[in-house]
Amino acid sequence: MLKVNDLSKIFESGDLQVAAVNGISFSVPEGQFASIVGRSGSGKTTLLSLLGGLDKPTSGSITIDGQDISQLGDHALIGYRCRTIGFVFQGYNLVPNLTALENVQLPMEFAGLPKAQRQPRAAELLEQVGLTADKQQRKPGRLSGGEQQRVAIARALANKPKLILADEPTGNLDSQTGKMIFDLLHGLAKSQNTTIIVVTHDLEIAGKTDKTFRLKDGKLQKK
Amino acid sequence: MNVITRGVRNAFRNQVRSFSIIVILGLSIGLSLAMLIAHQAVGQKIDSVKASVGNTVTIQPAGFSGFSQVNNALSSSQLDKVKSVAHVNGLAEELTDRLPTTGSSLPSFGGRDAGSGSTTSLTSPVKLNVNGNGPAGGAKLFIGSGDSLPTNFSPPVSFLGTTDPTSVNGTNLTITSGKAIDGSVDGNNALISSAMASKNNLKVGSTFTAYNTALTVAGIYSTSSQGVNNTVIVSLPAEQRLSGQSGDITNAIATIDSLDNLNAATTAIKNTLGSSADVTSSIEQADQTVQPLNNVKSISLYSLIGAVVAGAVIILLTMVMIVRERRREIGVLKAIGGSNAKVMAQFVTEAVTLTVCGAVIGIALGVVAGNPITHLLVTDSNNPSPGGPGGFARAAGPVIRRGFGGGLRGDLSSIHASVGWSIILYGLGAALVIAVVGSAMASFFIAKVRPAEVMRAE
Repeated sequence: MLKVNDLSKIFESGDLQVAAVNGISFSVPEGQFASIVGRSGSGKTTLLSLLGGLDKPTSGSITIDGQDISQLGDHALIGYRCRTIGFVFQGYNLVPNLTALENVQLPMEFAGLPKAQRQPRAAELLEQVGLTADKQQRKPGRLSGGEQQRVAIARALANKPKLILADEPTGNLDSQTGKMIFDLLHGLAKSQNTTIIVVTHDLEIAGKTDKTFRLKDGKLQKK
Repeated sequence: MNVITRGVRNAFRNQVRSFSIIVILGLSIGLSLAMLIAHQAVGQKIDSVKASVGNTVTIQPAGFSGFSQVNNALSSSQLDKVKSVAHVNGLAEELTDRLPTTGSSLPSFGGRDAGSGSTTSLTSPVKLNVNGNGPAGGAKLFIGSGDSLPTNFSPPVSFLGTTDPTSVNGTNLTITSGKAIDGSVDGNNALISSAMASKNNLKVGSTFTAYNTALTVAGIYSTSSQGVNNTVIVSLPAEQRLSGQSGDITNAIATIDSLDNLNAATTAIKNTLGSSADVTSSIEQADQTVQPLNNVKSISLYSLIGAVVAGAVIILLTMVMIVRERRREIGVLKAIGGSNAKVMAQFVTEAVTLTVCGAVIGIALGVVAGNPITHLLVTDSNNPSPGGPGGFARAAGPVIRRGFGGGLRGDLSSIHASVGWSIILYGLGAALVIAVVGSAMASFFIAKVRPAEVMRAE
């Protein structure tokens, strides 16, 4: 269960204070697929950064399975990001000189998984997201956008995270591929009982999720 | 795939750039090693020269240089006082002169050989290497641009009147035929070198002329020194009589009872002779002689430091550039669970890989270029600057900038730089220092990258 309570993030620029996230509270039960929609500058990415432990809130709390991550130190946050969170980015953000298989192994290496266990698990995950064995040895530059996003999803799943945060995962894909990626995420939420939160502009996609939150000027408006 | 493997692979991510960086680093490390080799070789030479100096004190008329006209020569009575100075065991006195070969022409030198009118029937055995165009191993003679030697030029012959005919310039002579002469007895007997004897078809008992006087070859000595080969040795009273410099002494060498008393005795002799003489101990002479080598040592040290710093700056800027280029990638690595230490380790490995590759090239370059660079530095340092004093003759007409430099100075150029394992270890050490320094700034930037930036960059 993800529980967010009165969460705020205020950026200071000289004398000016900007509340990118302003007193947000919501919760997402385990295994649900939720979406956050909103215009550019509404605070979606900042919220995702706070949920992923990439940034620290100014006030409020984020609780995952009873642990308040807003109270964690930098070192503990690294462990949180490594074991509890999986990220899927709009631009895939794969390491260009590593193969698909090696990219998926990265989070496992950071989590300290023995080398002998990493490769079979990475291959299994890539199979699971639909990347065939012959493409697993390819570097990102030799994969299509949809294939790269599949690799990114496999990487996000590497350490069996409780929460997957996806920032515009279909933003760089054509509609057909985007639908396939969405279906893949949706299926994972159900099959692996993983909570998934997707930030998207696509209202059609948002409409198919279990829960949708609309952000406007840093505040939440339940749809 | 782990941090190390990833770092090594990343080092060759951009092959053209990596190759360029490795070559530049190789040159930097190679230069630093060559300078280290030169530094060590020159240092060893300086130590050996200093270790070989004896416990002697040289006394010359104040301002006397080479074969300048002797207007203020020392007198026997002055030097008698030196004999009574504490710790002085012995005193060898000398009078030097140089005579042109009869019928030859000389450039217009200052000094006795330009104006005394005295000549000798002897022809110098010295082979001349004029401006580098001459026999290998010949005495080097540099002539200023536009100047030329007379067509019937022959190097003048040195005459040495000495109370100690057993040695010249600190070099002990070996008599190969005939017998030695008594340095304190006036007579027309002379010692000549085997080279001089061969050149002039002389043997023991033969005669030759000098100062319009017939001199008899009493003995023939052998030496490997060009300068000494060109020297005719007679007794001090004979030289004083023949050259018309009765009672004059141009050079004296006092032997001190021990090296420990050298400084005290040198000071006492200076006090005794006052401003009429230049008094230098063998240690001071050695210091003066090795001064060019000290300059080379300093230059090589500064160049060594400069090359290592340049290498460190190159890798530092390269790593800073790489980190800035891969800022997003660093953010992603941190976002998916990479700690600062792990990400830094990857980039440090990358820097070390580049540097080690550079070190391999650099060590090879250093080993190959160490000796030639050392030789070049030492040779250049031993060439006096234009217009500087020459050992053979002073400039008055045609500029002869350097003459028969003497044994010690010639020996200074013969330095062999050896390359051992220590040099290679130094090279790897320098590479490590370069890599660590080069990675430090990059690590600082990596630590500053916040993983949230990767989200904002979307």
